[in-house]
Amino acid sequence: MKVKLFFRKIGSFIVTKEILEDKKLSILLYKYFLIGLLIRLTLLPFFFQRDILSTYQRAAQTVFGGVLGADFQQFVTHIIHSAYLFAIKPFIPALENLSGILLNADSWASWIDFNNFQFVYRTLALFKFPYLILDIACMFLVMRLLYDTQPLKRLKVFKYWALNPLVIFVTYLFARHDIIGICVTIVALLLAKYRKKYWAIVVIAVAIAIRFFPIMILPLLIIYLARKKRDYIILFSIGIAGLIGIETFSHLYFGRSVIFSLLNTQHFDYMLSAKLDLIIHDAIFIFIVAYIILLLSFLHQKKKTFTLFLSYCGAVYLLYVSLCYFHPQYLMWAIPFIILIFVRKNSLYYYHLAQFCLLMLVLIYWGDLVTKFIFAPVDIRYALYSTGIIPIINRFYNPVKFVNIFRSVFTAVSLWMIYLIYRDNRDSQLADRGVGN
Amino acid sequence: MDSIKKKSNFIKIFIICLMVIFLLTGMGCKGLFFIPGASYGYYVWEDKQDSIHIQWSIDRRESEFNGWVATDGKISNYDLLEWEAEDKVGINSEKNKIEFDAALSENDYSDEIVVSVTDYSYLEFELKINDGYDLSRTNLGEFLNSPDGGIFKIEKGYFDNLKKVPWYQKHPWSGFFYKLSTDILFTLIFIFILGIVAIEIIRITIIRRNRKYNWYLILLYGVLILVDFGVYLFLTKLSFI
Repeated sequence: MKVKLFFRKIGSFIVTKEILEDKKLSILLYKYFLIGLLIRLTLLPFFFQRDILSTYQRAAQTVFGGVLGADFQQFVTHIIHSAYLFAIKPFIPALENLSGILLNADSWASWIDFNNFQFVYRTLALFKFPYLILDIACMFLVMRLLYDTQPLKRLKVFKYWALNPLVIFVTYLFARHDIIGICVTIVALLLAKYRKKYWAIVVIAVAIAIRFFPIMILPLLIIYLARKKRDYIILFSIGIAGLIGIETFSHLYFGRSVIFSLLNTQHFDYMLSAKLDLIIHDAIFIFIVAYIILLLSFLHQKKKTFTLFLSYCGAVYLLYVSLCYFHPQYLMWAIPFIILIFVRKNSLYYYHLAQFCLLMLVLIYWGDLVTKFIFAPVDIRYALYSTGIIPIINRFYNPVKFVNIFRSVFTAVSLWMIYLIYRDNRDSQLADRGVGN
Repeated sequence: MDSIKKKSNFIKIFIICLMVIFLLTGMGCKGLFFIPGASYGYYVWEDKQDSIHIQWSIDRRESEFNGWVATDGKISNYDLLEWEAEDKVGINSEKNKIEFDAALSENDYSDEIVVSVTDYSYLEFELKINDGYDLSRTNLGEFLNSPDGGIFKIEKGYFDNLKKVPWYQKHPWSGFFYKLSTDILFTLIFIFILGIVAIEIIRITIIRRNRKYNWYLILLYGVLILVDFGVYLFLTKLSFI
């Protein structure tokens, strides 16, 4: 009896009490989980994009070469990968071969050697395994963000994450590590939900240290959590503490600034990519304008509910991919927020699917590295010498125009999604007022 | 209604599978699939009339393709397809060697020579791109079936013999199965885990309320063990190179 109770408690902890007590819902949840897991496991050993190799190459410099600061711009992520690489060493046969491949400074040669490595499938599965664990954690955490008394809606949120094509593509085909930062961000959001305001800000600071994207929602989180003017100062200070901590460490250990190094990377320029040139030196950065408008709009909301806050976060990330140059994994940051709205507004889900399809077309222009080379572990010669998508398009039409037509449609769809989110917020507020009256 | 829906889904899945197989094997009706003006390299194959086709293509860039084809027999005839005025071709007086020098450009997608050869035991080739060898871009009868050297010979009946090569020794399958076979322990564990997840899906959806639940479960695990064993035999008893 005690054993049964123990497992019930664990079950409640994982899938929530409401879902566990409803047999039909718990079976459905188990089914979605298994289908999602099957897809993820199938893709785990066979595909990757060059970036994961670079991440582990830097980790190898720490593990095999003793260079701690191989990636000082993403230091926390680097340490996580280094520690993990150290831990999985016993599970990789021919480790000397792998370390030689990872430590090869010639990135093209190391990529070819890695694809030809006889244990490449095992290595890739191990490399991506922590992403799978964190992805599963996200599945169960994200459904707790909203709909406390509505287990069916929570189940839908779970389904939208477990079977989300973008999550699967970015994490298992593209093999990007954004899931680490996203998981920590969701934990921060859950803490915010339960009004653990200081802990929420501390955890989001950790998320910022892992990946810089949560910094976009930090002001929204502070506005949501702050009740007094003093709160703004305290929360903002804690919020940027992670960044300051990394900056201090960077100065002490590497003797250079991580913040200015990041500001000078092309990635920061992506944010400024859409601009309106006025005259002489004067220009307006469109994303910054739109972002500040969103921020002010949230600031002036009278009733800042948690649902509203999450909607604004989703809108921020959608805005980013709409107006700025971006990489496919950046869109994944919108997923934890927009899937919560899919439950209320199903049409938004179809627009998200359209977004994903359009992204697959926009992706083409990044070339072989993000298209046919993803399949290189299957057969590198086939990936190298088969005809790429750009030459095929170029045979019939200008590929830049082709891709940018779809890029424009992508932007239109994303902006329309923001509008739908705004409308959903407005409808919810009107309904609340109606109930209130 | 449900059965019609299921049937249409099945047809859709079948068509998608066919398309995937077609793309993966890279096969066309001539044994080689390529897109003139997009694909890059030489493509050599034999047609039903035993004529040898040598076609080249590049992704709309200025490039020069030159070389020769020689034989111990006689070149009875040759045809030039998509040939331009500046492109050169010549046959020697013994009629056993044909030389060519042809350029491709942004709007000149490909050129082709079709050679009819009689009484021969071999064909010898030298196929250059921009005055150099790019052997991986020379495809003999099949995509990525490349020669070992710059000047290479193929025996009569080479293309017929090529058809006898089993599918698992052809790209991309050969590379895929080779790596799976070199890490057999990982492969078997991986398939077993995938199988367990798949059985769980079947268990909670199809057989959950069946009276013979336990029997079906034992049967499914039996099938999984058989599949794993079959994979083991396939990967260890066959050669993929």
